[in-house]
Amino acid sequence: MNSYAWHSIRAGSALQCGVALPSPDHESRQDNVLPSDLRQALGRTFVLVRAYNEGPVIGDVVADLCKVFPNVMVVNDGSSDNTATVLRGLPVAVITHLVNLGGGAAMQTGLTYALKRGAEYILTFDADGQHRIEDALALLREILTGKWEVVYGSRFLGEAAVDMPRTRRLILKFAVWFSNLTSKATLTDAHNGLRVFSRKAASVINISQSGMAYASEITSQLVEHGMTIHEIPVQIIYTEYSLRKGQSSSNAMNILIDLLLGRFLK
Amino acid sequence: MIFKYVLIGLLGVFCVYVLALPRTALLRKGLVLSVVALMLIFVIKPEWSTTIAGAVGITRGTDLLFYLSNLVLFFIAFMYYLKFKEIEARFAKLVRQLALDTAARESPPERHTA
Repeated sequence: MNSYAWHSIRAGSALQCGVALPSPDHESRQDNVLPSDLRQALGRTFVLVRAYNEGPVIGDVVADLCKVFPNVMVVNDGSSDNTATVLRGLPVAVITHLVNLGGGAAMQTGLTYALKRGAEYILTFDADGQHRIEDALALLREILTGKWEVVYGSRFLGEAAVDMPRTRRLILKFAVWFSNLTSKATLTDAHNGLRVFSRKAASVINISQSGMAYASEITSQLVEHGMTIHEIPVQIIYTEYSLRKGQSSSNAMNILIDLLLGRFLK
Repeated sequence: MIFKYVLIGLLGVFCVYVLALPRTALLRKGLVLSVVALMLIFVIKPEWSTTIAGAVGITRGTDLLFYLSNLVLFFIAFMYYLKFKEIEARFAKLVRQLALDTAARESPPERHTA
């Protein structure tokens, strides 16, 4: 019996998670598609979705995730739109910040929650629909090899990202360079939302940057604690919506300032 | 020099205010008062600032005061930034705890299975 079954019963939703509440459809599909070790790992994996005013898209994104992953949790970061209403109909755990704190704080809340619930793997997935579920499964497959504690998705490895604007590419490249400089890691993509952490890795993360500067902070902490990080290529789907919702380019400066000054807080 | 008296008056009021503050650490009070005293000296004897400026290689006394006040203001802004970040972190902790407690209340006890 899966821990979220209760949610779906209470919600009375027509949507059911494949593994938690097996419907013939999902069962047969997963038997065909997923190897048994991966299928087993799904039950021990928590998918963390952070949402701040993602009402128009969060329903579809989470529903798609639920078809594959039995444990999906959404940190609703003080959304003022209909995000909470949309989530109510879905078989997911919803953790609600009463006020908006920012991506880093939401991440930490999700990690803390998942660890408390006994998650063995925690997979982060952006709410705006820019990630593909097959990429999430590829990440999980990679961490199951046991060679790494953390696996990041990278949009700069392998195939080119779909419709990535040039300014976005430049800023992301700069972010990678800066992040590598400060965290002593060599990554190709520092701000990719698609990541999977082992329990051990998630336990060492302690995010102090509430805003978006947390991405580099996490990597620094992982490296500090000797966690092995691996990257595999993933594709990002740049839609008009995800670009509008994503980090504005001018925000890069704020992140930089937070990171530099944040060093004085330790 | 009416402005001189205005400045002296304002600084005097500020001095009284600082002295009247309850529960402020003595060191801090002393620090603020000495800065105010320094300001008073430069208001009453502006030519002294030029002498000091000359000694450190700056021509005009006003320039010296300008640089110093900029430094002090920058320092204060930085201290407030740190303070703000600290409060932000505490605030996040509070909101997180509330969120986790509510989530725990709404979901059944631990029944995690592999």
